[in-house]
Amino acid sequence: MTAHASPPPSEKDSHFGDQSVSAEDKAPMVRRVFESVAGRYDLMNDLMSGGLHRLWKNAMVDVLAPRPDMKILDVAGGTGDIAFRIFERLERAGLPMPPGQITICDINAAMLEVGRSRAAQKFGARAAALNWMNGNAENLPFPDRSFDAYTIAFGIRNVTHMDRALTEATRVLKPGGRFLCLEFSPAVLPGLNKLYDAYSLSVVPQLGAWVTGDGDAYRYLVESIRRFPNRDTFKARIEAAGFSQVSIRSFSGGIVTLHSAWRI
Amino acid sequence: MADSNPETQKIAGVDPKLLEILVCPVTKETLVYDEAAQELISKAARLAYPIRDGIPIMLPEEARTLTDTE
Repeated sequence: MTAHASPPPSEKDSHFGDQSVSAEDKAPMVRRVFESVAGRYDLMNDLMSGGLHRLWKNAMVDVLAPRPDMKILDVAGGTGDIAFRIFERLERAGLPMPPGQITICDINAAMLEVGRSRAAQKFGARAAALNWMNGNAENLPFPDRSFDAYTIAFGIRNVTHMDRALTEATRVLKPGGRFLCLEFSPAVLPGLNKLYDAYSLSVVPQLGAWVTGDGDAYRYLVESIRRFPNRDTFKARIEAAGFSQVSIRSFSGGIVTLHSAWRI
Repeated sequence: MADSNPETQKIAGVDPKLLEILVCPVTKETLVYDEAAQELISKAARLAYPIRDGIPIMLPEEARTLTDTE
C-alpha cells in the first residue's frame, strides 16, 4: 500500500484512518476491513455502542417514515441491518412490502452474503422484498430518478470520494426523494471528549480484536471517524451535491449525526 | 416467472425484475442478461458484469472485458 508520510491532501489523496493514502488504494483497503469483520459486524456494533446504534438507526427509520409503495435504496448496508428495520416496521404495521421494494447496494460481497442469508433465515419467501447487489456508491448501477429514498448508515465515511457518492445519490433519487445519512461525528460535547477518545482509541480496537480477530480493522473505523467532516461542513457538501433543505439532528452527545435532505 | 424464494433464486440466478432496475455503472445504459453465462453485458462499456450466487457484481474492476468478437 502507498501511505504518504504526511498530508497535504490533494484531490488524489484520500484517507484510510489516520493514514493518508492514495485514492486508488482506499477502496481495496476498506474492502479488506469489511471482509474480515462481516460475520460479526452487527454484533460488534452492539458491543461498541452498548446497543445505542439500534436507537440511532431506529431514529433514522422514524424520519424516513417508510410506506410499502416507496422504492428505497440502502447503500453500504450489506448486512441488511437498515433494510430489515424498514421491512420489519412495515410488517408490524400490517403493511408488507411488495417484492423488490428495498435495494441493498454494498461494495463488499462478504457483507452482502451475510445479509442475504440472514434475510432468508428471518423472512423466508418474504425476503423477496429485498434486492441485494454489489456496487460502488460513487458509480451506482441504477437509472436516474429511480428511488423515493436513499439511506446510508455509517457508510459514507468509508467511501473514497464522498462528493461523487453524494452526486450519485441526487441522480438516482426521484424529484421529491429523501436522502438520509447517519454517521459518526468527529467532535462530541466538550466534557465528553477525553472519555470518548479513550474509549474509541483504546477500548474499541481491543474489543474488535477479541470479537472479530481484527483489531486493525476497528482501529481504522475509529480513526476514519476523526477524519470525517463536522456536521456543518458535511451539510455544505450535501448542499453542494444538489440537495435542498438539509437538516441536522444529533444523537448521544453529538457522537452520531443524522443528515436529512430532499432532492427537489 | 419470478421465483420469490431466495434459496431457489440463488440456484436459478438473478431475479428478472432486478435486471429491469440495473444499468451499467460506467455508462448508465441498460444491460443485456446472458443467462447461460450469468453475466450482465454492457455493450457501450464493453464489459460483462458477473452474477455470483444470484448477486450482480456491478463493479467495473470485477467485470470481464468483452472480446472483439462479442
